[in-house]
Amino acid sequence: MKAIRRLGARLRNSATRHSYDQRLREEMEEHLALQIAENLRSGLSPAEARRQAILKFGSLQAIREDHHAEGRLLFIETFVQDLRYALRMLARSPGFTLVAVVTLALGIGANAAIFSVVNAVLLRPLPYTDPGRLVVVPEARPSANIAGAGMSWPVFTELRAHSRAFSALAGLAAHALTLTGRGEPADISTVVVTGDFFSLFETKPLLGRVLAPGDGKQGAAPVVVLNENLWRSRFGADPGILGTPVTLDMRSFTVVGVMPSSFRTPFFTQTDQLWIPLVDDPLFSGWTTHPQETHWMPVLARLQPGISFAQARTEMATFSASLAIQFPEEHGWRLGIESLQSAIVGDARTPLLILLGAVGFVLLIACANMANLLLTRATARQKEIAVRIALGANARRIARQLLTESLLLSLLGGLAGLLLAAWAVSSLASLLPADLQQMRAIHVDGPVLAFALILSLIASLLFGLAPILFAAKSDPQAHLRESARAGETRGSQRVRSMLAVAEVALAVILLAGAGLLLRSFARLTSTGPGFVPDHVEKAMVSLPQFQYPKPQQWTAFSNDLLARLQAQPGLTDSAIAAPLPIADTFVNLPFTIVGAAPPPPGSANTAHFATVSPDYFSVMQIPMLRGRLFSADDSPATTPVALISEALARRYFPHQDPIGQQLTFGFPPNGHVSREIIGVVSDIHDASLSSAPGPMMYVPFAQAPLWGGEVVVRSTLAPADVAAAIRATTHSIDRNLPVTAIESLPQAVQASFAAPRFRTLLLASFSAIALLLAAIGIYGVIAFSVSRRTREIGTRMALGASPASILRLVIGESAKLVLLGLAIGIPAALLFTRYLSTLLFAVRPTDPPTFIAVAILLVLVALTAAWIPARRAMLLDPMVALRCE
Amino acid sequence: MPSFLWDTKMTAEKQKTDVQQGTLALMVLKTLEVLGPLHGYGVARRIEQISGNLLAVNQGTLYPVLLRLEQEGSIASEWGASENNRRARFYRLTRDGRRQLQEETRDWKQTAAIIDRFFAAKSEEFS
Repeated sequence: MKAIRRLGARLRNSATRHSYDQRLREEMEEHLALQIAENLRSGLSPAEARRQAILKFGSLQAIREDHHAEGRLLFIETFVQDLRYALRMLARSPGFTLVAVVTLALGIGANAAIFSVVNAVLLRPLPYTDPGRLVVVPEARPSANIAGAGMSWPVFTELRAHSRAFSALAGLAAHALTLTGRGEPADISTVVVTGDFFSLFETKPLLGRVLAPGDGKQGAAPVVVLNENLWRSRFGADPGILGTPVTLDMRSFTVVGVMPSSFRTPFFTQTDQLWIPLVDDPLFSGWTTHPQETHWMPVLARLQPGISFAQARTEMATFSASLAIQFPEEHGWRLGIESLQSAIVGDARTPLLILLGAVGFVLLIACANMANLLLTRATARQKEIAVRIALGANARRIARQLLTESLLLSLLGGLAGLLLAAWAVSSLASLLPADLQQMRAIHVDGPVLAFALILSLIASLLFGLAPILFAAKSDPQAHLRESARAGETRGSQRVRSMLAVAEVALAVILLAGAGLLLRSFARLTSTGPGFVPDHVEKAMVSLPQFQYPKPQQWTAFSNDLLARLQAQPGLTDSAIAAPLPIADTFVNLPFTIVGAAPPPPGSANTAHFATVSPDYFSVMQIPMLRGRLFSADDSPATTPVALISEALARRYFPHQDPIGQQLTFGFPPNGHVSREIIGVVSDIHDASLSSAPGPMMYVPFAQAPLWGGEVVVRSTLAPADVAAAIRATTHSIDRNLPVTAIESLPQAVQASFAAPRFRTLLLASFSAIALLLAAIGIYGVIAFSVSRRTREIGTRMALGASPASILRLVIGESAKLVLLGLAIGIPAALLFTRYLSTLLFAVRPTDPPTFIAVAILLVLVALTAAWIPARRAMLLDPMVALRCE
Repeated sequence: MPSFLWDTKMTAEKQKTDVQQGTLALMVLKTLEVLGPLHGYGVARRIEQISGNLLAVNQGTLYPVLLRLEQEGSIASEWGASENNRRARFYRLTRDGRRQLQEETRDWKQTAAIIDRFFAAKSEEFS
């Protein structure tokens, strides 16, 4: 109570400082007057009476100051006073302030920007109810190095029936269905879900209801839930939409609900989407019965309250063991538990953390530079500080004032940095894979502001302490007596050099990392994909399965389409294929070699699969190595044939001719067709440029058709004309067919390494900033050293030293700094680049050429930075130099 | 680490002042209770008379204490005329101040008694 009252009094005093001061002074004077009068009465002379009274009273001024210190919020007042002084000091040297603020803005801004991505992706919880309990249940087969696969349907139903760890379990898959009858036919991203999908997320629809387990039963009327965006764009936000039919793949679905656009399906994050029960899907409903062993369905679950991740994992291990007995083909597969958050983030995590570390180093370099700058400045301000000490400021007061200046600088830098970050974040989304971009919006929000503020405070301490520790604790008398320069202590010069060395070492780490990524990226882009993408245009044509239910129709359509395309001038080099390398997701299928011993259960051989029309290899320019290619004669009526890639031939037929051998494989539901190998084609990078080409199997489209595919055309015509021709030709057969994913193949290849290109670019820019800052740091140290040694250099020259030897002297000093920095930086970089290894393609983290290049670059930059002050030293007039003090 | 970061001398001095001010405040309250409304000079004289030369305090330090006590509500003041007709500020005890005096007197006596017993105790009594 008393404490509160006193604080109240202090606040009041701070506001009404003058009136109390006035009163105190009046009262004290009264007291003195009374005392003097009394002393006079006791017979003292007037002068003595006054003297005695004052002696007895004590120092008026000291008492008043004591009262102030006790009675007011001295801390804040001092701070405000310091702040005003600091503002004046900064305003008086705008050049220094600008350099300092820009340096810090780069450091803090880069950190805030990268942190905003980290915050959005790794820290912010997913936008679902109680997201910490949402998990993914992936299947893995450690023996075959397969992880994160989907679940097969029998395993899913078994798990749903017996698991006690989950309160809800749902599978999902996605593809496109054709929406007709509402304007231009369009492929709509369709999420195919099992009954518990929506109850898993505990979300509420905007209109109507969500899908319920009853909708997933055989025989129930097909229903659909629309996303709000689709409802607005395609259905004019019709409030009476519920109960009306929509046509998907020529089949009627009844709309039962609309989900708010804020709800995003994990992994399938397009916003213009709809949801249908798995049973009603033309494609995936078939997969619940036919391909028992295919692991196709991602499964999500919500943990039962009170069940920990470890308990759930234990249950999955027990369950996997029992599965292997029930389903022999499940032998070797393991069910796991992974948090939904980490499953969604996936591979994006490592590059983000690496970039965060990199910007941390940039900030450290910026701080080292600032410390150097402030040390130089503090030396120049020795006289000012000495005067203040002589006038009665104690060391603590001076330190506080200097810290206030650093704090002000770093807050200004932080503010500028935040502006920089806010401007940069929109482009930073490219760091993330597309579905993650949709899922997690990146912006500068509360946590990012807090992060930037904390960084500014830490930075101000880091660089603010240097001048206090090494510059402020000097003897004021020495400074007042001597010139400012003499006050420069040996210690502070050493600190300055150490800071420059540290900057070089940190820059080495960043440059080594960026160098490795650059080299890796160069390797990646110079890797031929195995086909020639230039001048190839692609477009996807898909056939609604309810309208075109029979494989014969698919074959007839593709033959018709290709015939019409090839009849047009400039489009003769056309083919159809599914899937396309790099542009599409690869399809991995198990196969067996006819006549060979069957592999043990659960260890099936697999290879990537593609079904292609005869001209595919000439369009893509994939060379044939042996045998023959597909021809128009390979039809459903003739022997099933296949082509294999070099890798498959090498691995599975090492000592024999594969031609004439038979493989059994096929796209579900025709998984068990024996096909004769008729030729070997060269390897291609099917999945991505960064993964090595694996075994591939090709089949003729006519013998293994799909409901549509990718049309590829090699043409010298303009890409837009080719795209228009594909569209027109398709519509000349059926004007309700959607033609989508139109792209040139070089574009698709480019897009596949957009993420590595962007992070390489970012790390390269960060290390460029680091290099620049380190160069400035070296320049600062050398320039200061030269100006400090002006007289010494003058003496040397007067005694006959040649300009060249002076140049050597100065350059040598710089070389010493950079060599020391390299000696520390290179081992440190070797420690850190290990973390890059997962991002590197065909480059080892210890790649000697990269490290040598970094070392040479730094030496060159250091010598350049030292060149200017060295030249100045060399051109000194000895007479002027000797007289300079 | 430079010395100014750990300026112990300064901290110690401050504590000493606090103790004195606390004692001084108690003396002021007691004086006002015994003598009724009084100006600063009168309070100073009274304290000087009672304590003799034992308390070597500058009289000036009394005024910040008076101001603080008033801000805390223990005493109140108004301008009045002194004996020789000079303008002077007269302090009087408030109800809060009277209660505070009683509490602090009790505390002080208790503390003093405890300390006395410690000084009186012989070494064997501790074992």
